Amino acid sequence: MSERQIRLMVNGNEEILSVPDHLSLLRLLRDKLALTGTKNGCEAGECGACTVLLDGEPVNSCLVLAVECEGHRVDTIEGLSAEPVMQRLQQEFIDMNAIQCGFCTPGMLISAYALLLRNPHADDHAIREALLGNLCRCTGYERIITAVKTAAGKDR
Amino acid sequence: MLQPYPGYPEFEYVKPLSIEEAVGFLKDHPGQSRPYAGGTDCFMLLRDRRIHPKYLLDLKAISGLDQINFGNENGLSVGASVTLNQLCRCQALAEHYPVLAAAVREVGGYQLRSRATLIGNLCNASPCGDTIGACLVYGALMQIVGSSGKRSLALDCFFLGPGKTVLREDEIVSSLDLPLPPAGCAGAYKSIGRNKLGDLAIAAVTALGYPDAASPSGFSFRIALTAVAPTVIFAGHAQEILAEKGLTVESIENAAAEAGRVCQPIDDIRASAAYRRAMVAVLTRRALLSICDQLHISP
Amino acid sequence: MTASAKLPDLVGESVSRVDVREKARGSAVFTDDVQFGPNLLHARIKRSPYPHALIKSIDTTEAEKLYGVKAVATGADFDGRIGLYLQDKHIFARGRVRFVGEAVAGVAAITEQIAEQALELIEVEYEPLPAIFHPEQAIKPDAILIHPDLGEYGVANFIFPKPGTNISNHFKVRKGDVEKTWKDCAAVVERKYYIPHIQHVPLETHVAVAQVDQSGKITLWSSSQSPFAQRDLIAKALGMSPGNIRVISNYVGGGFGCKAGVTMEALPIILAMKTRGRPVKLCLTREEEFFTNFVRQALVIDLKLGCDHAGNLLAMQNTMYWDGGAYTEYGVNITRAGGYSSTGPYDIPNVKTDSYCLYTNNTVGGPYRGFGMSELHTGVEQCVDELADAIGMDKVEFRLRNVVQGGDILATGMQMHPTGIKECIQKVTEAIEWEKPLPALAPNKKHGKGIAVMWKAPAMPPNPGSSATIKLNEDGTILLGVSGQEIGQGSFTVAAQIAAAELGVPLESIRVGGPVDTDYSPYEWQTVASRLTWSMGNAILAAARDTRRQIFEIVAEAWKENPDDLDLINGVVISQKSEREIPLKDFAVYGIPKANFAGWIGGPIYGRGRFMPTYVTGLDKETGQGERAVVHYTTGAQAFELEVDTETGQIEIIKAATAFDVGRAINPDLVKAQMEGGIVQGLSSALFEQMIFKDGVMQNPSFVDYRIATTMDLPTKVETFIVEEPQDDGPWGARGVGEHPMVPSVAAIANAIHDALGIRLDGPPFTAEKIYFALHKG
Repeated sequence: MSERQIRLMVNGNEEILSVPDHLSLLRLLRDKLALTGTKNGCEAGECGACTVLLDGEPVNSCLVLAVECEGHRVDTIEGLSAEPVMQRLQQEFIDMNAIQCGFCTPGMLISAYALLLRNPHADDHAIREALLGNLCRCTGYERIITAVKTAAGKDR
Repeated sequence: MLQPYPGYPEFEYVKPLSIEEAVGFLKDHPGQSRPYAGGTDCFMLLRDRRIHPKYLLDLKAISGLDQINFGNENGLSVGASVTLNQLCRCQALAEHYPVLAAAVREVGGYQLRSRATLIGNLCNASPCGDTIGACLVYGALMQIVGSSGKRSLALDCFFLGPGKTVLREDEIVSSLDLPLPPAGCAGAYKSIGRNKLGDLAIAAVTALGYPDAASPSGFSFRIALTAVAPTVIFAGHAQEILAEKGLTVESIENAAAEAGRVCQPIDDIRASAAYRRAMVAVLTRRALLSICDQLHISP
Repeated sequence: MTASAKLPDLVGESVSRVDVREKARGSAVFTDDVQFGPNLLHARIKRSPYPHALIKSIDTTEAEKLYGVKAVATGADFDGRIGLYLQDKHIFARGRVRFVGEAVAGVAAITEQIAEQALELIEVEYEPLPAIFHPEQAIKPDAILIHPDLGEYGVANFIFPKPGTNISNHFKVRKGDVEKTWKDCAAVVERKYYIPHIQHVPLETHVAVAQVDQSGKITLWSSSQSPFAQRDLIAKALGMSPGNIRVISNYVGGGFGCKAGVTMEALPIILAMKTRGRPVKLCLTREEEFFTNFVRQALVIDLKLGCDHAGNLLAMQNTMYWDGGAYTEYGVNITRAGGYSSTGPYDIPNVKTDSYCLYTNNTVGGPYRGFGMSELHTGVEQCVDELADAIGMDKVEFRLRNVVQGGDILATGMQMHPTGIKECIQKVTEAIEWEKPLPALAPNKKHGKGIAVMWKAPAMPPNPGSSATIKLNEDGTILLGVSGQEIGQGSFTVAAQIAAAELGVPLESIRVGGPVDTDYSPYEWQTVASRLTWSMGNAILAAARDTRRQIFEIVAEAWKENPDDLDLINGVVISQKSEREIPLKDFAVYGIPKANFAGWIGGPIYGRGRFMPTYVTGLDKETGQGERAVVHYTTGAQAFELEVDTETGQIEIIKAATAFDVGRAINPDLVKAQMEGGIVQGLSSALFEQMIFKDGVMQNPSFVDYRIATTMDLPTKVETFIVEEPQDDGPWGARGVGEHPMVPSVAAIANAIHDALGIRLDGPPFTAEKIYFALHKG
């Protein structure tokens, strides 16, 4: 199995890596870069636990090939945790008790973060729609939505 | 038994820089290559080992394919690698083709739409593709490029069966063209899934009504049914009834019933044929009532 | 085991969770995140495509030759049986396969891909056998025996299998005389309901890494609710001392019961025994998670319920056929729990219950949130509703009249302790405005309200123990050792709260030791049964008291005072007599010098405590009677208001309200979070979820076709209420609630559907299609 060298930005750092063509971005992040904050929940683009930002847009990293990321920018929860908007979101999640087992949390935060960047005053429906692709089994979602709403500056 | 595979099988990733290069590669490696753009359908087929291409052709590097162009004369042109989220952000789409704009939003979740492409959704030829009906009622034209040249094909003629299109092995779709919609038209996309949102459609109706002097009632209609036949179908007779009588309580009921009659749904784990048939009638009625609303018609 | 009489400040305070900062940053370590270096091998499992077949031969020669393959294992490698309550399972199948997906062979290789390729090179010859897919088929006298050797299996003494049949447990309750009572009933309802298989769907699938060192000691990293139970069961199966197995368990990304006991964890262990020290990791794909591991048993429940003209329940006949699946080593106890709690939270003088656990060739049934209670109440609470209707009584009034109260003698002969179930009912009916008629809607919309009550006891063997350790650091901060796993419910947080409150130290000074490691963490039976706050909590209280005793002995000696005059407040030891003070950090490890440094008093302080209930008795095999069947019951109520679109059958949940008697809410917000999450999981199981089988093959093992609730499926308004009727032996009266919030949901929704439409379906999920056809018959 041959590999090819790719060059991409991950969390602001340039990475040069040798990867097989069939490796997903998800597996690149977890297995080659030990960025294990991004989770594997289904590897089928359904659960959203693997959500990362690709050139600023949320994607299911299980449905992106590592080789497709040549020359592109990837941001994961580890890198985004330094961003003020993300920190505000994380604090709201913590204050609202919107985190239980924590497995959906990184993906959920990234989808919410991207939403707030493109729609800073997102309303209830917009938040639900933006998080539709992130499944949670523990919390029942409502606190997550409230946390995002509060971070969006709308009072409860 | 579904064999559960982790990750993707081996393949070689190829990234052509031009359409000619892409088409040439397909010609030189018949039966071994799979072109793709977003990958959201293609990768799932790979993961399930339902396809085993030796080569995967990423079309995203081909310049021009990621463009949306709108002109007041020619309408909308959507390149092969335009993503669904790009379309969601497109003013011209929202303004001139609201039914397609609505259908696009119903596909999966936001993350999926960041990668999934409109052309990909169509080429996947799933009987229940959300965007198929809207593209059809807006009279979409597929611009196809192959090693023997280009051809334009009305979307009506594009589908052969579930997962099957008329594309030859060395052809790719470079863009989808939508002519300007008929003046004064109104439409709706009504679908039903197992959850409130985010599920694929188990039955769906896309309807468009527009003023048409040539039609007895002064209006013509296009009603596309998806998820209830091997490919998308028009509810031809329903369309005729409405063209003849216009939007009245009676004609809407008859049209809805006719739409229910013409579809050929199957029983599967998602829904029974009987339920799908019943829902086609309900959704047709609702789509037509929505059109009434938009056109300020009291049926 | 009661706590300090005065309620400390921390008890009842919704403090922030201790684990959320790292979870929010993505730095919380789950088992698949643990780094093992380049030596790590990857396992894949070859699985049976048949629901029932003899294994004629397995040829692994070609697989072994494949470059990169380091170990291949089959059932031939190991003949031990494994199981929690009944040892009926082999690690790899031996002799026959009993369900589609059963592990037949395994490969460990340098990449997952090579392991997968090697699987294809393994040749297995099968001889298919007739298969059984329905428990009522399994119980027939001429049914093929799925476990012909049932009589040889080791079994716990409270489980009653019937060798020579497919019955792996038959639990009976015989109280009073139901046959004679029917004629006295003013109304009798007879119903049969079918509750299908569903799966837990934890976001994190099962993952386990095993390593065997040169001395034969096994280390297992697993996403587990039960590190100690895993150690114990695997040790027994392998014929080893549990001391030779070490289980390390990091954060669990959701369990809901499926990560209790031992399922796939033993597979990489067998492989690791052959890889000369290289660790072997097995990760289940989502598809495998759906059908190869644990699912919730399906149930056929046949109920007959009668009451007198005044609405008093007189008799219940309850026959339950549990579809235990191919192996029921865990499922047998669900049958038992369903049996002893078979009346639901009602006082019924005459009860005849037969609860059968049946082997079938379906997927393996195991513990699922509720442990049989959701399935049971789906039947019972609908019958109660119908019965109330039959005698023209309001359904809430009917329940208030019949629910158990403290002092009642239950169906098993146990005396019920005080319970706040009536208050729970009152709270939810108020919230849902039970009395208020619903406004008329659009012609295609119908409205309805429904209520259901529930109870559940922790389902455990009679002797499940907890223990805790408190280790003081040099600066007076504390490492709290517990093995109650953090699976999302907040166990680490509540543990820290209980410890801080009882000890008398600031909450911030306590760190909960993790990951749980059976070599270093103190014993805990399992994180199941909603038992941790109560049981682990009691162990922590004991450890705190032990620690205080040691602290006070040291200081008392140094000050020449009476230890009874000392207290520890906010990390400072204070004498109530002399008003002298000394902070913990001054002596926590190094002790206190005597006057003029003429010696030293004290030393490192390490407290420990344990808790194990001592009063649970056995139950008679024929009658199910015994003095104390269970430790306690948590009761509750749930109500829904919903809207049905009669044109499509679609249901929209408008309002939900739920209340549970938790005895004492140590962290009220965490209790509410459990209730909210449970309601959504409950409504998801009511409206969407089912495993669809065809000839034993699951047809929908993916999120595409196994639908669970998303952000768009939620009620517009959810209200949660905490009721507190203290438990005599819980920490400040606390009782568990982790499972309970999803138990009454299906029944309450079914009752609301009936209120709206006048129809009842034969079981969940109440899909739009089923509702549509029930409305549009013919």
